[in-house]
Amino acid sequence: MAPTSAPAIEVRNLTKTYRDANALDGVSLALEENRIYGLLGRNGAGKTTLMSILAGQGYPTGGQVLIHGRNPYENDSTLARICFIRESQRYPDDFSPHQAFKAAALFFANWDQELAERLIEDFNLPTRRRIKKLSRGQLSAVGVIIGMAARAEVTVFDEPYLGLDAVARQIFYDRLVEDYALHPRTIVLSSHLIDEIANLLEHVVVIDKGRILLDEDADTLRGSAVAVTGNQDKVASFIDGYRVLHRDSLGSLASVTIQARLGATQRAMAAEIGLELSPVPLQQLVVRTTMSAQAEPHGDHYQEALK
Amino acid sequence: MNRVVKVARMQLINKWPFLGIPMVILVASTLMTFGIWALLPASAREGELYSGSGQAVMWYFLALGIQSLTYTFPFSQAMSVSRRSFYLGTLGLFAAIALGFSILYYLLGLVEKATGGWGFNGQVFALGWISQNNAAIQILFYFVAMVLLFMIGFWAATVYMRWKASGLLVAGIGFAVLVLGMVALATLNDAWPQVGAWFAAMQVLGLSIVLGMLCVLLAGGSYLTLRRATA
Repeated sequence: MAPTSAPAIEVRNLTKTYRDANALDGVSLALEENRIYGLLGRNGAGKTTLMSILAGQGYPTGGQVLIHGRNPYENDSTLARICFIRESQRYPDDFSPHQAFKAAALFFANWDQELAERLIEDFNLPTRRRIKKLSRGQLSAVGVIIGMAARAEVTVFDEPYLGLDAVARQIFYDRLVEDYALHPRTIVLSSHLIDEIANLLEHVVVIDKGRILLDEDADTLRGSAVAVTGNQDKVASFIDGYRVLHRDSLGSLASVTIQARLGATQRAMAAEIGLELSPVPLQQLVVRTTMSAQAEPHGDHYQEALK
Repeated sequence: MNRVVKVARMQLINKWPFLGIPMVILVASTLMTFGIWALLPASAREGELYSGSGQAVMWYFLALGIQSLTYTFPFSQAMSVSRRSFYLGTLGLFAAIALGFSILYYLLGLVEKATGGWGFNGQVFALGWISQNNAAIQILFYFVAMVLLFMIGFWAATVYMRWKASGLLVAGIGFAVLVLGMVALATLNDAWPQVGAWFAAMQVLGLSIVLGMLCVLLAGGSYLTLRRATA
């Protein structure tokens, strides 16, 4: 792939220090355009801080953010290409969803009213009721609708599903993928519900304590570990030499998650001695990565090891 | 279309805060003044009647300054509007509305004079000390007074958004210290007679200019404060 243009989002050595804490500690990323990124991490990991600086709403203590090569902060022409609705987004007092959508149509050049109306129907959103009287789920739906119908080149969703029920969340995921297929753009999605969005993601970024632990293509990541299940002794001999991410045992049975890309020979060998190999869900990988990074001070090693 | 103009249009999506409520306040407070005058016993109605009800809208503008920042700024951020565009669009819109109200006040003052003080020999809009000036000065004075109140609200809300209660506390104490310092300066130099004379000599035009300079200071302070505020 020839680097014909600047990445959609480029983050260089970004730091953000609040009075009592380092929210971001030397974050560097380069996100290509027209992909779906998952920004994953625990509460307080720095996800929202990073997103709000990407969107030009916050500003860094040090380092730089470039959106299509330009700093978004106070830059209207670059800001116009970005849409970021906060998880706790505030709306003008007395605004109804209808009025919020009217405002969004003013500011986002690619606003699609038809899509907005379809989503309103899907989410059963009462558009003439005041926003402050909406339920948490309906409030999230307002943000989701603006974020999707704005069709901004760089669209950032911060935990967009809060309060949405399972059906509404599925609608969101389905519509997002559908619309993304028709109108590719760069989407960054932060979430706790990793398994739910795992199939959406093309690339995974894991952040913890303000540092990037993992920045990896989702498919590569999925293939980077395997769970080996079977007789304890046989498992032990099979996994010898591999890095163990997690270990479960029940009686003589063991299930061990190892970091390995097994070839055909190794798979055949495992089958021969009666071991079962199974893929590891993305959520497990993220959780294990985060936990092992917390056990050792430098997360970078792990990320290198994954490659 | 320019994003500054779009900000003004966004502020007007809900017509009430900038247009509806000020109109309602103006009409209601004026009618109530007439009602009170009508209830006065004949003895109390001799001579001229004065009412300060014309100020009602102006004090609402203080609240509007707070509201237009507190509620709309975080939303404007979600609409990917720069702080500068939000600031210019909001202040520009208010300036236009304040100018409209100032002209309306002047016109109502003319009506007041033409109708013999609304039939009560009263003064609501054409207060003597203001209405003795020409049209431009009258309109300027109303405009500056309205913008000043709006800017006080807007700046205070910006300070709160950026530094929360401690910011307001520091600003309040700072203002009090400043006033105290000026009082001390006048007292220690035995300058009160001159100060009194200065105020007495200041006409409506002079007062407008002083208040106008305050507006400019507050507007500049608001912008610098907003530049680094986060919703």
